[in-house]
Amino acid sequence: MEQLFNIDFKRINSSNDKESEDRKKNFELFLKEGFPNKKNENWKFSDLNYIITKNFKNITNNVDYKFHEKIESIHDFDHNKVILVNGSLKSSDLNFEEKGKVKIETLKSLEGFHHQLNNNLDYLNKALSIGGFNLEVQQNYKCKKPIIIYNYFTANLDNKIINNTNKIKVSQNSELTLIEYNISEKSKFIKNTFEKINIDRGAVLKNIVLQRTKCNGYFYKSISGIQDFNSSYQNFILSSGLKFNKIEIDMILKKEKSSCHILSGLNLSKEEHQEIKTQINHLAPNCKSYQKIKNVLESDSKGVYQGKIFVKDIAQKTDAYQLSKALILNDQAEFNAKPELEIYADDVKCSHGSSSGSLDEEAIHYLMTRGIELKAAKKLLIKGFLNEIFENIPEEKIRTFLEKSIAVQIDEIQ
Amino acid sequence: MKSEELKNQEYKYGFTTEIENFKAPKGLSEKTIRFISEVKKEPKWMLDWRLKAFNRLKVLKEPNWQKPKYPKINYQDLYYYSAPKSMKDKPKSLDDVDPKLIETYNKLGIPLKEQKRLSGVAVDAVFDSVSVATTFKGELDKKGIIFCPISEAIQKHPDLVKKYLGSVIPLSDHYFATLNSAVFTDGSFVYIPPNTRCPMELSTYFRINASETGQFERTLIIADKGSYVSYLEGCTAPMRDENQLHAANVELVALDDAEIKYSTVQNWYPGDKDGVGGIYNFVTKRGACRGRNSKISWTQVETGSAITWKYPSCILQGDNSVGEFYSIAITNNYQKADTGTKMIHLGKNTKSKIISKGISAGQADNTYRGLVDIGPKAKNSRNYTQCDSLLMGNKCGAHTVPYLRNKNSSSTIEHEATTSKINEDQLFYCNQRGLNQEEAVSLIVNGFCKEVLQQLPMEFAVEAQKLVSISLEGSVG
Repeated sequence: MEQLFNIDFKRINSSNDKESEDRKKNFELFLKEGFPNKKNENWKFSDLNYIITKNFKNITNNVDYKFHEKIESIHDFDHNKVILVNGSLKSSDLNFEEKGKVKIETLKSLEGFHHQLNNNLDYLNKALSIGGFNLEVQQNYKCKKPIIIYNYFTANLDNKIINNTNKIKVSQNSELTLIEYNISEKSKFIKNTFEKINIDRGAVLKNIVLQRTKCNGYFYKSISGIQDFNSSYQNFILSSGLKFNKIEIDMILKKEKSSCHILSGLNLSKEEHQEIKTQINHLAPNCKSYQKIKNVLESDSKGVYQGKIFVKDIAQKTDAYQLSKALILNDQAEFNAKPELEIYADDVKCSHGSSSGSLDEEAIHYLMTRGIELKAAKKLLIKGFLNEIFENIPEEKIRTFLEKSIAVQIDEIQ
Repeated sequence: MKSEELKNQEYKYGFTTEIENFKAPKGLSEKTIRFISEVKKEPKWMLDWRLKAFNRLKVLKEPNWQKPKYPKINYQDLYYYSAPKSMKDKPKSLDDVDPKLIETYNKLGIPLKEQKRLSGVAVDAVFDSVSVATTFKGELDKKGIIFCPISEAIQKHPDLVKKYLGSVIPLSDHYFATLNSAVFTDGSFVYIPPNTRCPMELSTYFRINASETGQFERTLIIADKGSYVSYLEGCTAPMRDENQLHAANVELVALDDAEIKYSTVQNWYPGDKDGVGGIYNFVTKRGACRGRNSKISWTQVETGSAITWKYPSCILQGDNSVGEFYSIAITNNYQKADTGTKMIHLGKNTKSKIISKGISAGQADNTYRGLVDIGPKAKNSRNYTQCDSLLMGNKCGAHTVPYLRNKNSSSTIEHEATTSKINEDQLFYCNQRGLNQEEAVSLIVNGFCKEVLQQLPMEFAVEAQKLVSISLEGSVG
């Protein structure tokens, strides 16, 4: 494992000696086990160790955050702009919002990231994290426009690793729509992100993640959040175009009446491997969670969904639902699912469904009898399959934009 | 004691009659294995096979990923062989048997004669069911069906045993399976010749000398081309049993166009109300659909044991082969069950169906854990899984852990699972029509399990239905 890395600790900013000492310690702890492999239950279907060692050698930490070009922004709808370059906060433009109501700054201290040791990548992150952003929405403020985080990755990142740590806090009765838009050049790099989310009483957070173009990135992201009374969290995960992408979401529904929605529509093509892992912890009564994961798998792509619903004994009247569906278009493609339920309360409505298979022959036949040729018929069905996810996005302009970007990808299907 | 000495000693006593009350040395060692093999007059190849398993066992680790945890088992503190009990040790009459046990028998409607047999009361030869068994035996012999204890098969049909033993559950499988391979004492052996339909349900019940097969049971069933057999294991009545660990191995082999139906009703001692005692039921059951158009169907009703940990599986190798798994697992008080199946699709057009019903009450934990794996060559394969859980009270748990792997575009996997409690409306409806709470629950639960119960052979199904109600007694209210 050691020879895989070539890390220069001197070039990582640490606020004090203790921190730089801790970084080294964490790195040693990481090296003991290395990247997680398939022996680890959570990584059963995605052998990260194999993937990394196959594709990378001499991994170094990135120290270059220079950036001169102009980022091509989205014009389809008004939004606030935040620009990150190689994971580091570059600039923010929150012009649509009232002053002082929304704050975003570079996250310096890694406090609050100490207790969540869920895998070995956490050690790696603690050792090499360059921070990230700290976003906070003040009480009783509903953001007027969505915030788009332009996550830009430069062209000189080959064999580099970026470790990010972000914090998002949506205070009482506030509302935020946050869109993460990844733009990257052709370089091949690793990104390891840990994000912490706090959704206070009555607050609403909508999170949309998408990628502009295909890229050679190998991403891992862990999102862990706590939800207060009557809060709502919605996460839409859309096609990434990354070579490897694993998103792990761990939400704690701590107080009554909170709700958590995770929706994903992915279209994976050649050499892509994507995993979504969720754990929804129902710790209070009357909460709701809803997960819908849809995958379209072409070529030799691999899709994985591991979901777990945990219901504590006091969490009566829980309504939890989990659905994963996959369309396998090629014999080389593979879909693995592990939809799990762990339930200790009896008055609950919990169910899950999972299916994987090919396109419905009868539906294709139906369309063809109406004069639509095979290829177009297939695309129409795929579009219909994924569209179900977008229907849940209420803002029309955002929805159209997302539909448009997915339509381009579907057109590329052979 | 060296093995040589041991041999001499046995010779001295002659072990067909004198063996009563004769126990193998305590602990797991080569000596013990040699002893077992010796006592059973096994040929050398069998002993070698056992020793190979034992050597493998030395490097294996006990699995610990399962949900129900148990205190560490001291394998050196167990007896691996003890001869059947003599008449002297057995209870003299039903009066000496635990009245609770008798009460359950009466509820199940078991005749007095049978009650004696089950509770291990010493029975006169006249009362024994041997005569029934011998009649059946004659009929089977006529058709060329072999149905005997496996120790007898090792002597009389070594070719068949050599060919198939360990071909589905290899020596180097997991810890408990390998342990069984090293120290198994007895079990059933069934061979159905080609194009033969076994005229009756085979059951351990009718096998002479079936009692006390011990804690390491080994069963091997081979259905040759175009044959059919239905095998029943266990009994609805609670069995008296002193062994805490049960690690049985069951291997099924279905050749071209053959069908095996394997039904289990397991109702071993689950421990008392506070979860003290009870059997650990760690069983490996696996069937291979070797031939084209073959079919293996597992049906299980698991109501007993402190911990049930088993996954009857199907390896669908032959094209067009079919695997089925129907299961009811009921856990009450402090019982724990971690059960499910594996359907491994390798051949083309293979189909599998999984219906699992889990019911938890009291402080029990019930897990369905299953794997459906459709390989890249298993074109046009299909799986359908349904697992439903019923919870009674908020101190118990119901868990579903399916693993679904689909590696080709022409195959379909469908999985659905629900967890709920008994519908208040249904209860109310039943109450209204004069059923009391307990009767109503039993009726609803039986309805919940119907899909599985109707898979059982007729006479079993009726008893199993009663068993379902009895298992949940005291959990309502």
